[in-house]
Amino acid sequence: MPNYQLVYFNGRGRAELCRLIFHAAGVPFEDIRLDHTKGEWPGEWKAKCPFGQLPVLVVDGKMLAQSKAAARYLAREFNLAGKTSWDQARADMFIDEFDDISTELYKISHEKDEAKKAELREKFNADTLPRHLGYLENLLKENNGGNGYFVGDSLTWAGLGIANVYDLLGGTDAPFAKFPLLLALAKRVRENPKVAEYLKTRAQTSF
Amino acid sequence: MPSYKLVYFNGRGRAELSRLIFKAAGVPFEDVRLDSSKGEWPGEWKAKAPFGQLPLLFVDGKVLAQSKAVARYLAKEFNLAGKTSWEQARCDMFIDEFEDIGAEVYKFAFEKDEAKKAELSGKFNSETLPRHLGYLEALLKENNGGKGYFVGDSLTWAGLGIANVYDLLGGTDAPFAKFPLLLALAKRVRENPKVAEYLKTRAQTPF
Repeated sequence: MPNYQLVYFNGRGRAELCRLIFHAAGVPFEDIRLDHTKGEWPGEWKAKCPFGQLPVLVVDGKMLAQSKAAARYLAREFNLAGKTSWDQARADMFIDEFDDISTELYKISHEKDEAKKAELREKFNADTLPRHLGYLENLLKENNGGNGYFVGDSLTWAGLGIANVYDLLGGTDAPFAKFPLLLALAKRVRENPKVAEYLKTRAQTSF
Repeated sequence: MPSYKLVYFNGRGRAELSRLIFKAAGVPFEDVRLDSSKGEWPGEWKAKAPFGQLPLLFVDGKVLAQSKAVARYLAKEFNLAGKTSWEQARCDMFIDEFEDIGAEVYKFAFEKDEAKKAELSGKFNSETLPRHLGYLEALLKENNGGKGYFVGDSLTWAGLGIANVYDLLGGTDAPFAKFPLLLALAKRVRENPKVAEYLKTRAQTPF
């Protein structure tokens, strides 16, 4: 078993999908959370990071940057990426869509003007998010009626991804009110024994 | 050989990397370019799009969305994705970094306020872009002195990606003035016989 280190800040953010993959697969890893108020970031880490950013995944001392590249590598290693090349591509497609949703959220959270921020948030909730979730609900339904998974007939990192989106959207059922299949999948994934165990003990963080 | 159809607008944009992969691999495909001024988009295509957007890849009639998922699927099919799982992850990492550069360009490319646009593009050119290119130059150098490729010892879609970034940045050497290894790689890829043939005959488009 290789030695894994995942390096990020103390939060879910761009590292949580990797953490969920490790936990769902039951693979141990060093979950390094840097406290920038103590100078741990940039500290000695920034110079080691391929693009000067976190998260980074370190596998037997070799570095991998970019959160989705790291998550995909882990998913593949732990047989959570999809069973065929096509299934893997479909899983990638869902992951990129979740990334589009979080990009919209980051735009809002980085907006400094409070009035503009409220306007962006309103548009996101009324328009952007329902549009994204609507597409996802339909695609889920196309896969054997939607009572299973996004891709194939078993858990992939795409399923872990929607569970992560659930948290990103506030960790309540409310955003999914009109998207019952999606909500059921997110809950099914969160109730997976290894995932549930992790969620029970996971640090509560502000992001 | 499966039947491939790539659907996008008449421009490089988010489809060009996939086109470069097809061309570099010497694999024929239907290069569908929709003219929205003639109603071809949304037309009948939008309803077929998993997330209502382009580009789309059809493989024997099955659809894949999200430009990076599409490009990665093709790269893997045509042995341009990296020879090991780790190399594939490193390619993914470079591709994501190119995407980050593209995202920065898109921020000001669509800015309507001319003063704001000048401010954003100024910051991009003096600060953001050199930072990204600097990291890429250093990473390229780490791979056998940087005279070959980003990953391993043969062309991958990461190499095609930097050639695509060259075009995104205006198709001149100027942005790469301080990054000689990157420039040499971009040119080496553009001079690959199949790529060069495509570049000679490729439609000139505004994006």
